[in-house]
Amino acid sequence: MPYFEQKSTRPLPRTGVDLAGIKFKNPVILASGTCGYGQEIDDLLDLELLGGIVVKGISLGERRGNPPPRIHETPCGLLNAIGLENVGLERFLSEKMPWLRKIDTAVIVNILGNSAEEYVQIARSLDRVPGIDGIEVNISCPNVKAGGIAFGADPALAAEITRRIKTVTSLPVIVKLSPNVTDITVIARAVEGAGADAISLINTLLGMAIDVKNKRPVLANIFGGLSGPAIKPIALRMVWQVARAVEIPVIGIGGISTSQDAIEFFMAGASAIQVGTATLVNPGSAAEIVAGIASFMDKEGISDISQMRIP
Amino acid sequence: MSRYSATCHIIDQVRLAQDIFHLVVDAPDIARVARPGQFCMLATAHGGGLDPLLRRPLSIHDAWPSGRLEFLYRVVGKGTDLLSQKGPGETVCVLGPLGRGFRPEPCGKSILVGGGLGAAPLLFLARSLDRMDVTVILGGRSIHEIARLDAFEGAAGEVLVTTEDGSRGIKGLVTTALERLDISSSSHTDAIPCVFACGPWPMMKAVYAWATAKGIAIQVSLETQMACGTGVCLGCAIRPSTQGRYLHTCKDGPVFFGTEIDWG
Ligand SMILES: Cc1cc2nc3c(=O)[nH]c(=O)nc-3n(C[C@H](O)[C@H](O)[C@H](O)COP(=O)(O)OP(=O)(O)OC[C@H]3O[C@@H](n4cnc5c(N)ncnc54)[C@H](O)[C@@H]3O)c2cc1C
Ligand SMILES: Cc1cc2nc3c(=O)[nH]c(=O)nc-3n(C[C@H](O)[C@H](O)[C@H](O)COP(=O)(O)O)c2cc1C
Ligand code: FES
Repeated sequence: MPYFEQKSTRPLPRTGVDLAGIKFKNPVILASGTCGYGQEIDDLLDLELLGGIVVKGISLGERRGNPPPRIHETPCGLLNAIGLENVGLERFLSEKMPWLRKIDTAVIVNILGNSAEEYVQIARSLDRVPGIDGIEVNISCPNVKAGGIAFGADPALAAEITRRIKTVTSLPVIVKLSPNVTDITVIARAVEGAGADAISLINTLLGMAIDVKNKRPVLANIFGGLSGPAIKPIALRMVWQVARAVEIPVIGIGGISTSQDAIEFFMAGASAIQVGTATLVNPGSAAEIVAGIASFMDKEGISDISQMRIP
Repeated sequence: MSRYSATCHIIDQVRLAQDIFHLVVDAPDIARVARPGQFCMLATAHGGGLDPLLRRPLSIHDAWPSGRLEFLYRVVGKGTDLLSQKGPGETVCVLGPLGRGFRPEPCGKSILVGGGLGAAPLLFLARSLDRMDVTVILGGRSIHEIARLDAFEGAAGEVLVTTEDGSRGIKGLVTTALERLDISSSSHTDAIPCVFACGPWPMMKAVYAWATAKGIAIQVSLETQMACGTGVCLGCAIRPSTQGRYLHTCKDGPVFFGTEIDWG
């Protein structure tokens, strides 16, 4: 055994995580909708330093998104109503995947649809595409056929989507939960029962702002999703609840801007975390969080992320 | 793309009028690659705080090979107010240069039209053009809104000032000056002129209408709400002149050809 290893009193921190069959270099992943398809911020953030990236939500056809104004800043938060503008499945595979494939980090594709069939069709097309490591299912979208109720607000619908996606893909399936429900653990258990490999949470909280001078809602869409540091306490509470309600791994999302924030989520029971709005504010945030986690683990003598969990 | 995220030393910050500030920072990486019309996102919360959460977009007022990077801005709210409180010796986090700037075109005279703080990106543009072929029109409500007149006079062959209250130059709007302009008198070419404009939406609409009526090409620098400034959030959408995809101010702009956008 080499001399320096004998001298070391404690093992080096292991920041890598195996989650739902996906190997992440470290537990820090970029959240969907806040990093484009990766290439857009490649010059400002080295993606290979991160555990992975979740690309902007992909729909079957290209989507134009909502009319402007689409965003509004609130105290320590951001309201957005982008309207899921994206290039669509076909252009994603032909224009975005060739670049993503070359990057040494886990690539997770966030998918969305207006009907269960749409989700299934996208999931089927992504199966066996080289370079894709997993699917994250955004169930916050309204189900057109069920009268516009969000898939994520109905345990039966959420379970049905999960079950059907699982039958058409061999890729790990992460279901991303909406916080806009009365009891998030009910939805969490439903998708676990339907075969989800992991759960990520939370998506944005529904909110709005009013322009007093012009006497109308600020966002053209009236409502928008709230993200950023303002939602962190809610996200943390929900991660704590879900981590104690299911056996499958949980990925924590919501207002994470520093390694301190990330560590709180690990303590609440998350196996990995995603960084969203913080990347919009400072493109280097996720890389700084990776470094901060490693130094915390080193200082505290923690050798594995899972050891941080509060029983 | 060469964009940089830098913590920059403030070289100077001067209050030019009641609420108008001229900020100079040392940002060698950004200043060396910056093009006229591009912008930067500046963090305004003190001590790395979270409020305001988002960085604020400001046009590059001027940039020098020495690393000197300048901004000209008006205090309108919390972020710009916090920024204005900083002084030499302090630092500010700057992300840039961002977006697509003005595109040089083969044309006769270049007419640069700035309304209020819309003048900000025009100095760097004027300096990048042949001085004798540049006419700058600066408009404001009163003389207090005309910032950095000396710098513009040094960078352009002709500078016209318009004020709504007549406290300086031509009494009226920038279009009053445009109407009086002899657009055929380029110093050494017969080519038709081109227009570069930045300012409040109604002003740009009027300048666009003027240029279009005369068959003159126009580029405008636009403002929308922005979260990232880097092209990842898609929050800065703007309606295109065609039925197609939305344009995004931070990556397709902030400078657009007048014909690219929907003037409503
Ligand atoms: C590409 C780009 C370049 C810009 N360049 C410059 C520049 O060179 N100089 C400059 O002074 N400003 C510039 N702006 C505008 C500047 O970004 C805003 O004024 C600033 O973000 C306001 O921040 P705040 O926190 O002070 O105000 P906030 O607290 O965000 O807003 C306070 C009030 O000001 C209003 N406001 C917000 N934005 C604007 C705006 N764009 N114009 C007028 N009122 C506004 C709000 O509606 C609100 O009522 C630019 C904007 C863009 C998108
Ligand atoms: C501008 C923007 C766009 C987003 N787009 C998506 C999306 O396409 N799909 C999705 O599942 N979540 C999307 N989200 C939600 C984020 O992935 C994340 O769940 C949420 O913002 C909370 O994390 P944060 O506080 O770190 O941003 C978006 C968020 C923002 C701010
Ligand atoms: S401001 Fe985020 S994409 Fe333009």
